[in-house]
Formats: sequence, C-alpha cells, structure tokens
Amino acid sequence: MIEQVGFGLVAGCIVLAALLVARAKNAIHGVLWLGVVLGATAVLYVMLRAPFLAGIQLLLYVGGVMTLMILGVMLTRHDQHEAALERKRPWLAGVLSLFLLGMLVTAIQTSPELHASEAAPATVKDIGRSLLTEHVLAFEALSLLLLATMIGAIVLLRRDRPDRLVEESR
Amino acid sequence: MLASPVSLALTALLAPGAVALLLAVATPLRNRKSAIVLSVLAALSSLVAAILLVKGQLTPTPPQLLTVPWLLQGGVPFAEIGLRIDGISASMLLVVTFVASCVQIFSVGYMHDESPPAQGRYFTYHSLFLTAMNILVLAPNLLQLFLGWELVGVTSYLLIGYYYRKPSAAKAAVKAFWVTKFADMGLLIGLLVLRSKTGSFDWDATITPQAANLVTLLLFVAVMGKSAQFPLHIWLPDAMEGPTPVSALLHAATMVAAGVFLIVRGWPLFELAHSTRAFMLGLGSVTALLAATMALFQNDIKKVLAYSTCSQLGYMIAALGAGSLLGGFFHLTTHAFFKALLFLGAGSVIHAVHSNDLRDMGGLARKMPVTTLTFVIGALSLAGLPGLAGFFSKDLILEAVGEHGFSLWLVLLLVSAFLTAFYMGRLLLRVFFAPATEKSSHAHESGGFLLLPLGLLAVPALATGYFGGMFGQLYGTAYHFHLGNIGILAAGLGVLGLLLSYVLYRHRAEHPALLAPLGRLIEHGPMDRLYEGGFHRVALPFAALVGWIDRYLVDGVMNLTGLAFIVSGQKIRRIQTGIATDYVLATVGGVLALLLYGVMR
Amino acid sequence: MTLGLCLILSAALFCIGLYGLLTHRHAIGLLLSLELMANATNINLIAFSRFRGDSMGQVFALFSIALTVTEVVVGLAIVILLHRAYRDARVGRASEFRH
Repeated sequence: MIEQVGFGLVAGCIVLAALLVARAKNAIHGVLWLGVVLGATAVLYVMLRAPFLAGIQLLLYVGGVMTLMILGVMLTRHDQHEAALERKRPWLAGVLSLFLLGMLVTAIQTSPELHASEAAPATVKDIGRSLLTEHVLAFEALSLLLLATMIGAIVLLRRDRPDRLVEESR
Repeated sequence: MLASPVSLALTALLAPGAVALLLAVATPLRNRKSAIVLSVLAALSSLVAAILLVKGQLTPTPPQLLTVPWLLQGGVPFAEIGLRIDGISASMLLVVTFVASCVQIFSVGYMHDESPPAQGRYFTYHSLFLTAMNILVLAPNLLQLFLGWELVGVTSYLLIGYYYRKPSAAKAAVKAFWVTKFADMGLLIGLLVLRSKTGSFDWDATITPQAANLVTLLLFVAVMGKSAQFPLHIWLPDAMEGPTPVSALLHAATMVAAGVFLIVRGWPLFELAHSTRAFMLGLGSVTALLAATMALFQNDIKKVLAYSTCSQLGYMIAALGAGSLLGGFFHLTTHAFFKALLFLGAGSVIHAVHSNDLRDMGGLARKMPVTTLTFVIGALSLAGLPGLAGFFSKDLILEAVGEHGFSLWLVLLLVSAFLTAFYMGRLLLRVFFAPATEKSSHAHESGGFLLLPLGLLAVPALATGYFGGMFGQLYGTAYHFHLGNIGILAAGLGVLGLLLSYVLYRHRAEHPALLAPLGRLIEHGPMDRLYEGGFHRVALPFAALVGWIDRYLVDGVMNLTGLAFIVSGQKIRRIQTGIATDYVLATVGGVLALLLYGVMR
Repeated sequence: MTLGLCLILSAALFCIGLYGLLTHRHAIGLLLSLELMANATNINLIAFSRFRGDSMGQVFALFSIALTVTEVVVGLAIVILLHRAYRDARVGRASEFRH
C-alpha cells in the first residue's frame, strides 16, 4: 500500500515537472524543472531496486547535465528576452502527442505479457561483472565516444578555429 | 581442346565488356595510355577465343546453348538471354574480332595526335562496340540480338560523332541514329509479332508461312536501315564524318553487316517467307546498282568506299533473297576483310595527305609502297579479279541469283559488278598512279601501327576465297567451286571495267564527255533531290501536321502537366522551412501514420 | 506498482517530451525535451530489469545515460556556436538547411 502511494507521488511529480519543462517560458526555469524530473526519476529507480542507477542518475544528470545546461543558458543569455522560450503550434503538437500516448497506453494495456512477477533485483556486482565481461566491447566503445565528445566539444567551441563555418562577425 | 566452347565465348564477350565498363567508370585509367593497352588487349583476347572457338566448330558439333531465364513473370521467363555457339556465330565472331583487333591496332597509330583523354574515350567506345557486337553475334534469340543491335547503334552514334566539336560530324551522328532508329521500329514490331505468333523470341519456332512473311518483312525494314539499303542508305555516306578506322570497322566490315547477319541468323524464318525474299532480291540488286553508280562520281575517297559498301551489302541481301545462305554470308566475310583493308588503306593515305579529296592525291605509289600494295589487293578483290577473295563470294552470289534463270536482277548485279571494277580502277589511278599534286608530294609512308593491320587484312583479302569449303562446313552446307558461265562473265566484266577505267582516267581527272551529264546529275544528287522534293511536298506538310498536333495537343497536355508540377512544387516548397523542429514534426507525423496503419490492419 | 504502471509513466513522459520537442523553438528548449524523452526510455529499461530479474536492463540504462550525456555536451556546443553566429539561439533562425 505504502509502495503504491509512493509510486503515485513520484509519478505525479515526474509528470507535473515534465509538463512544466515542456511548457516553460523561461530557459532557466525549464532547466530547473528538468532537474526535478531527473531527481524524481532517481527516486523511482530506488523504488525499482536499482540504487546504483539512481546514484548514477543523480551524479551524471543532476550533477553533470544540469550544471552544463545552466552554464549553457548563462553563456547564451545576454538579455532577458533571449532566455524566453518561444513556442509554436501547441495544438497540433498536443494532438499528436496525445494520440501517441493513447496508442501507447492501449498497447500496454492490451499486452498480455506485462504482468510478470517480481524477481530478485540485480546487484551492483552483477552490473559490474556484466559490464566487464559480456559488454566489455560496448563499454570500451563508450569510453572512446566520451573521449571523442570531449575533443569534439573543445574543437567546436575553439574561438581561433581557422576553418570556422560561420563567420564570427555575423 | 583447351577450354570449353562456352567459356571461350564468354571470354570473347566479357573481356571487352569488362574493359569498357572499367574505362567508363575509372576516369584516371581512361585518360592515359592504359586505355589503349587495355582495349587492344581485350580485343586480342577476344580474337584468340574466337579462333579457338572456330577451330572447335570445324568438327561437326550440335549447337551449344547457355541461357539464363530473364524477366521472370510469376516464375515463367518472358525471354532468355545467353549464348548460342554454332558454326554461324563462331565464324561471325571470328570476323568481328579479327577486324576489330586490326582496326584497334591501326587506331593506335591513326589517333596518335589526339589528346590522351580523347584517345581514351575513343578506345572505350571501341571496347563497348566490340562487346555490343559480340552480344549480337552470340545471341540465342532475336530479343538479345535486338539488344546488341541497339547497342551497336548507340556506339555507332558515339563514334560517328567522335569529333563532336565539328558540326557536320554531330549532324551526321544524329542522322545515322535517327535513320537507323526509324528502321529499328520494324525490328521491335517484328519481335512483338513473332512473340505473339509463336510465344517465344526464338527464330526456329514453328510458324506459318504467312506469319513468317509478316515478321520477316518487319525485320527486313530494320535490316534496310542498318545495312544501308535503298532508300534508307542515306545515312551511310554521311557517317564517314567519323574517324576513318571507325568507318572501317563499323560502317564497312561489321556493324552494317549486322543486318545481313540478322537474316542469316533468322534464316529459319526467312526460308519460309518467299514474298519477303523476293522483295529482298529486288531491293538488294537495285541498291547494288544505284550505289555503284553513285560511287562512280564521288570525289571523296571515303564516300566512294561508303557507296561501294552500300552496293556490296546489296549483293549480300540479293544473295539471301535468292535463297543462298552461304553466298550471303561468304560475301559478308570476304567483304569485311577487303573493305576494312580498303578503309584502313584510305586512312593511311588520308593520314599522309591530310585530305579526303581524290583531287589532292596522286603519285602515292612510289611514296607509300606498302599502303599501295595492300590497297591494290583490296581493290582488286572488291573488283572481283579471279583468284582473289571477292571473286569467289561474288561468283557464288551471281550463281545463286542466276540459278532461277536469266532475270533482270542478274543483269543489275552484273552491271554493278562491272561498275564496281570501274570505280575502283578510277580510285586506284587517281590516288596512287596519277601525277603527284602539291599536297601529296609531301606524303610519306605511314608507321608500323598503321601498316601492320594492313598486312594482316591483306592476307584474308587475298586468300579467304580458298576457304569456301571451311565456311560450308561451318554452315552445314556443301560448297564446291565450279566456274560456270556466269562466273566467267562476271570476271570478264570486272577486267573490262578495270581496263576501261584505265583508258578513261589514265591521263585526266575529269569524267569523260559521255559520262559527264550523268556525273553532273549525280553530283547534284538525284537522291538528295528526290528526298528534297519528297521532303517539301510530302514530308514537310506531314511534319507540319504532326508538329501542330505535337505542339498544341501533345505539348499542351505535357505543358499543363508540367505547369501543374511547377505550381504544386512552388507550393510544396514552403514546407521546406529549413527549421529542424518542422522536420521533427513531419517525421513524427509519418511514424504515427505508419503506426496507425499497422494497428488498423 | 506494476510493470504496466511504470510503462505508462514512461509513455507519458515520452509524449510530454515529444510535445516539448514539437513546440519549442529555442535550442535549449529542444535539448530539455530530448532529455525528457531519454529519461522516459531509461525508466522503461529499469522497469523491465526490475520485473524480469535481469541485470541487462540496468547495464543498458547505464549506457543510455552516458550516451545522453555526450548528446547534451555536443548539443550545448552547437547551441553556443549558434549563439555566437546569430547572437540568438532560436533554431528558427538557423534555417540554413533550406539552402
């Protein structure tokens, strides 16, 4: 019972905060509400017996991504006007999204295999072993990708790049 | 036996094909000397394969077929493509690859002054031509033959228009293309009729004589175009705008003979079609005579040879019309050799004198001994001097035509044999033995690349006549040479023609008084006049009518359609906003629509 | 709390993200929406892992999170570049795809 209420609360938080992200008029507000979504998701992970993932979520998302986002907004904001997030055609987007939601919910409801019983949760040990045995190639590839991203971001943002695609002066 | 006939035939087909493809794709290869090396090597390997193939066919073997189903319609093939190896295709393959090899080697020297990319283009076309010709020759049915037929048409267009910066060459290429394409409609319709009557594209399917007449008549229209028969011969003289080796290969030895080959291949059909064959006999004889007359008054060395080609093709058609398969094909073979030799000789002369005009030539016998010797061999062979190749094949034709008794067609052919000797005599005298002119006095003998093919071709031009038995064997028909009255008469007429030309043109370039009016008439071009008259009276009003329909009805519909597309395009263009989210919206919409469709099903 | 409920939550989050993606014109807004959608998929992975008793889902969620981080980094770099180029990070201005 207490679990049900907890899930309801967390889910409500996530959906509400997500809606506020989607409808945010101010970029900083949007980023902050995204932080709420991500944090609530971390709580949900704990409830789903995935505490390791919850930690990662907090560390990477709330700690890393959020900071980056805020920095990004700060770097690109020069006046109040630009922090404002413009929106367009909300009706069409709303109808399309609701339509997709309807289809997904119907699919979930009518799927027979979803009422699986709970099983023993995976431990950090399992995850670590799996990462370094079965998925070691993907793991290494990912580390390469992270390195490439780092270099890429530096190269993209270098100010003295000679082959600048778009002229600085514009 | 080193290799199976099928693998040999595949080699002959694929070696030039691979080279043509490679050179077409790989520009760096094409723009260097490597194009020449590859192309010549491919031609030579085809030639070796063809020689081995013919060697294998000398012992009687049943025809070998290698076919792949093509255009499957519900598991049932619409047609087949592949190879058919028998005496006919093997011997034709030998002729084609031999002449092609000679011409390509000749071209190495002849095209030497062109820029490397232009040479690469030239040799790429040559490889493509050889591939197309081999597809045609090895065709197991009429559909594949049609494919090769159209392909050689395209390469002919490309090679006539090789000097595409020259307006006359570009025009000639288009003219050749249109005239032959117009005629090819006959082949296409004939194919469809054949398919509807017999259910296949095979030439040996059972068919009623009536249907055979219809089909062969339609096929013959295409032959008239490709083999330059009156009145569709008009493109061939203009096609001489191409480089001379091209004229030798395509417009004398092989491509124009493809029409004759089509009849040989489709013989089971043509044998039944008596009406078509009667028509062929008449038309061939008339073409032989008319073209020979026109050749008499040309001053361009290549045009003389071009009209001569028309005339000789007329002989072959007449032979087939008279029912002599061997006569037609034998003459095709000997003609391919000596006419290619003559054209290459003419190329050597043109290369030395830098002019096509007979009046610029003269006195070349001393300066160019090898060219002269080989050219004389070719010319005498064409004139039908006894003992040379042309004599035997021409004799076979005349015997076949004369078999059914004395007829008008025989007279026409005999007269044109006389005329052939006459104009060849004139050509020889003017080019080699007349006093030297300003231009020809600086001429000197050509290099080895030009002389080697001349030597190579002179051998069969001399000696093919003695291998009639071998051809008979390849064809499964007996061949015995016997000198009948007609043969003696033809030989006599040939010698008479040569002597007469010697008497008349020994000391002067102009035509004698007796022939002058005829010459003037032909110089003004009776055919051109006829065409012009027909053009103004009939064709132009018709064209105007068609043009009106085209402009206001067809084009109207087309323009409306086009306009609709333009307008809708301009409207639709607004969709392309260039804004990323709009594209996302479109993608999401599409995915959702697909999902919905999937659910609904 | 069942698998079905988790999936519905994830679906809702995904659709909200989609809505944001379709409506926002500002590049930052688009990135935020993309984060929402990525988060929705992660919830799915974890939920399946939980109810199937398979560690695979968590491993993949881990990968997914790392990938999302790289996506954010590159995305933000592009946003900053856009801003430098146009003095404005609204995607609507960056309609050079059109040309």
